Amino acid sequence: MAEIRKQRGRIQLRLDAEERTALGSIVNRLAKQPVGTAPHAYEEPALQAEYEKWVVPELEIARDADVAVVRKCLSSGEDVTPLTEAHALAWVRALNQLRLAAGNLLHLSDDDWSSAASSEVRESEEFRMLLALSLLQEELVAALES
Amino acid sequence: MSTVAPVRDPAVAPSKRDQWLRDARWNVVVWNDPITLMSYVVLVLRRLFGHDFQTATSLMLQVHNDGKAVVATQPREQAEASVSQLHTFGLQATLARED
Repeated sequence: MAEIRKQRGRIQLRLDAEERTALGSIVNRLAKQPVGTAPHAYEEPALQAEYEKWVVPELEIARDADVAVVRKCLSSGEDVTPLTEAHALAWVRALNQLRLAAGNLLHLSDDDWSSAASSEVRESEEFRMLLALSLLQEELVAALES
Repeated sequence: MSTVAPVRDPAVAPSKRDQWLRDARWNVVVWNDPITLMSYVVLVLRRLFGHDFQTATSLMLQVHNDGKAVVATQPREQAEASVSQLHTFGLQATLARED
C-alpha cells in the first residue's frame, strides 16, 4: 500500500495509480455512510439541542472538507503528494471517519475486533477496507508524531 | 455610537441557571470506541490539549481500560469548543460540570 516519508519536516505520501484507484473506491463506498450516532456533547437535553443546532452542522462541513482533501489528492494524477501538516491532519481525520463508517457497517463493538471478527465479517469487502485504512492511518499518525 | 445607557431588560437578564452554567468548570470526557486507533487518540490529545506523549498515552489507556477519561477541565465555552474539536477528529467526547 502507500509509502509515507518525512523529509525536512514535510510528509510525502506516495500512492501509485492502482493504489489511488483502490483508495478512491473506498472513499466512494464509505464517505456518505453514517459513522454511528450523532455527536453527543451534553447530558442535559436543552444544552444538547443547542449543540445540535449550532455546532453539529459545522462538524459535518468540516468532515466533508477533510474527505475533499483526500479526493483532491487522489485525483491529482501524481504518485507523490507533499502534505503540509494541515493536509496530513485532514487525511488522518478523513481516514478515521471512513474507518468509523466501516466499523458501523460491520457492527463492530469489540475492542478486539481485528481478531474477534467472525469469518464472515473477515471475508467482507468492508473489513478489508477497514484494515487497509487502519494501516494507512497508522503510518500517517506515525509520520505526524515523528 | 449610542450615548444612551443601555436599559437592562429583566426578561433577558441571565438567570441563576445561566450564571451557574457560565461559572462552573466543566470536565471534557473522552469515551472509548472500538474502532479508533490508540495512536490516533494520543495524537489528538497531544494536538488539542498540548499534553506530552506520556500524559496523552496515559489518558488514552485510561479511556481504553476504563471506558472514559477526563482529558481537560475548563470553563464551559472552552470545554464546549474542546468537545467540538474532538468531535471533528471523530472521537466520542462529552462535557460535564465538574463536581
